[in-house]
Amino acid sequence: MSLLAIMGVSVRRVLRDRLSLFFIVILPILVILIIGASVRGFSTFRVGVVEDGSGASGRQLTATLSSTPGMEVRQYATAGALEAAVRRSVVQAGLVLPTGMDQAVQGHDEIDVGLVAEPANPTQQAAATAVQSVLARYAGQVQAARFTTEQVGGEFGTSMALAGHLSASVPAVAVVSRQAGTQLTSLPEGFSYSAPTMLVLFVFLNSLAGSAVIIANRRLGMYDRMLAGPVRSGTVIAGEALGFVTIALAQAVLIIAIGAVVFGVSWGNPLAAAALVGVWALVGAGAGMLAGTLFSTPEQATAVGPALGIAFAMLGGCMWPLSIVGPTMRTVGHFTPQAWAVDAWTRLLSQHGTVASIAPQLLVLGAFAASFLALAAWRLRRRLA
Amino acid sequence: MAPALVIAQKDLRQRIRDRSAIILGVVAPLVIAALMSLAFKGTETIHLTLGVVDSDHGPAAAGLVEALHGPGLKDLVTVVSETSPHAASDAVQTGRAGAAMVIPAGFSASIGGSHPLPLTTLTNVNNTLAAEITSSIAQSFVAQINADRLSVATAVAGGEAPASASAALATAHLSLPVQAVQQAFGAKELKTISYYGPSMAIFFLLFTISFTSRSFFVDRDQGMLERMLAAPVHPLSVLLGKVLSAFVFGVVSLGIIVAVTTYAFGADWGNPLAAGLLSLAMVLAVTATTALVIGVARTQRQAEGISSFVVFGLALLGGNFVFVSVTPPIMQRLALLTPNGWALRGYTDLATTGGGLAIVAVPIVAILVYTLAVAAAATALAPRALRP
Repeated sequence: MSLLAIMGVSVRRVLRDRLSLFFIVILPILVILIIGASVRGFSTFRVGVVEDGSGASGRQLTATLSSTPGMEVRQYATAGALEAAVRRSVVQAGLVLPTGMDQAVQGHDEIDVGLVAEPANPTQQAAATAVQSVLARYAGQVQAARFTTEQVGGEFGTSMALAGHLSASVPAVAVVSRQAGTQLTSLPEGFSYSAPTMLVLFVFLNSLAGSAVIIANRRLGMYDRMLAGPVRSGTVIAGEALGFVTIALAQAVLIIAIGAVVFGVSWGNPLAAAALVGVWALVGAGAGMLAGTLFSTPEQATAVGPALGIAFAMLGGCMWPLSIVGPTMRTVGHFTPQAWAVDAWTRLLSQHGTVASIAPQLLVLGAFAASFLALAAWRLRRRLA
Repeated sequence: MAPALVIAQKDLRQRIRDRSAIILGVVAPLVIAALMSLAFKGTETIHLTLGVVDSDHGPAAAGLVEALHGPGLKDLVTVVSETSPHAASDAVQTGRAGAAMVIPAGFSASIGGSHPLPLTTLTNVNNTLAAEITSSIAQSFVAQINADRLSVATAVAGGEAPASASAALATAHLSLPVQAVQQAFGAKELKTISYYGPSMAIFFLLFTISFTSRSFFVDRDQGMLERMLAAPVHPLSVLLGKVLSAFVFGVVSLGIIVAVTTYAFGADWGNPLAAGLLSLAMVLAVTATTALVIGVARTQRQAEGISSFVVFGLALLGGNFVFVSVTPPIMQRLALLTPNGWALRGYTDLATTGGGLAIVAVPIVAILVYTLAVAAAATALAPRALRP
């Protein structure tokens, strides 16, 4: 009975405090929103276009760029604005279409289109390659229209429309893409990336910050007073742990619900997801309690907790997929429980994983949780004795 | 003025004794910036290992392989010869190659006929960037062939006899009439550490708002304020002392981070004078914000709540969590409503242009406008907070 009473006190304290609700609910949702909207850059090229004075042909070229898969087009008013955007990596390459392009395409001369990208910068060079292939396709139509106008006569515009129309049906040397590797080894992009990783990050971080409560209890002599009653130290520790787990679970469930309803995240096999959330809540609780016995002032908990939580999250692949870092950083990352949790979410969300397929991750996380909790209980018991 | 200095001195001593200040102000931003720099070390530049299977051995295949070794692709692509489509597929699957290209047997002979054989690219779902680059290279290569085929087809559709269209094409020697002319514009590459060094320094600098405002109310709750005001001290000196300690702390912590990221991680903060003034403006903005939080809050708990909202609100909007350039355009505009968003833009411009004061003039003015507005509001509200 006293076990539940101790847990109840901890949970009520958190729920009454509106500030902790900000950290438990609002902040994670905001971060999921911002990171989810941003983490799409791993597979799209962002391309800027200045089409000032290039007329209908410029608009046609821009439309062709926009409809190319994997390319996101942004318009700029001047070449200077475009260059600044490339410099700041807002776009990775840019096209400056010439003024009077409409007249030029109807003539006989070669048309030069400015391609803004640093030759020494491979990322920009990669984007430039993609832009060039679209430009070449457009140039093919211009060539066909010029040729036809010359041979058959008539309006250039008519020939251009004809070439555009035929380009889809004339048998061409095709480039066929075949997938050699189909097993996605990282989380999907967008909110399906940010929601599970931020769940991992914030449940852990919040538990670390929650250690301030244990420190305050210790300093206020709360535990001594509890032990003065007919309560054993084991009960006090178990009650505190249960409080941590309850809060962590509540936060995880909230993030999952909001993720599913608002951001349309599919969390995979429900049983496996539930097991993973359960184990992760235990890991968080263990880490939080351990921090409560290690830090000596609440200030240290609120200063070191978030920094440690963010650093672990980075190492563990919550801020970017571990598939993009080098092998050393990937190995180092797997010393944190976060990496195992993100691996498990990846199997659930990207590979239709089940409890059986995330069993290794669940075992490792279970070991993390058990050792954190055991260490915390041992240290706390020593302090209570 | 002197009492303010004494109060600032006492506050600084207190904060340094509690090691949490050093952790937040120096250790945490350095560790996190270093982690980011290490993680992105290999990804700052795109490089593609491309497997090529030449089953054709004809002139078109030779042309394609030659193009892959051309000057435009030299730094981007390393070509590795694979013996069979199966071997290439294996290389892509295991990640030995980012993607592969298969030139089928009979390719050169087929491209003049009515049923041209396709080029096949082998891609991995985990490396979409490599897939796109490979497909772009292949598309560019076949573009001239396809343009010629399209020219004949269009002329025929326009009324020309097929034989005469083909003959005309053969004599015309057409080349693609629209060409990209690459314009280098002398921008330096933005290294990850050059963005996240300043970004993390500012993020943790923002925490000064929480710490200082909280400590003001702790002092007040302990009756410190009454005792100070009993002395011949102007009430504003107390507030000034508090924010002065925040200012000094901010300057020192930023200075250490600049030094360590520059010498240990190779961060480029740009022109020292310009970067220094920009940093100073940013610290002033944080200091003014601290004063405002003290003015608005009534209790220690409120100060903690308001400052949390302010710190995380500014950090999220300003681009301290995610590289602001990759966010949607609306987020990039919102970032310019925050002083830290302007500061980050200033640092980015300094690192990529190598420019001086002129580059950061607009960011500095924007930050100072924010600072003045916030400081004015804080001064108006201060007497309430200072009433014992």
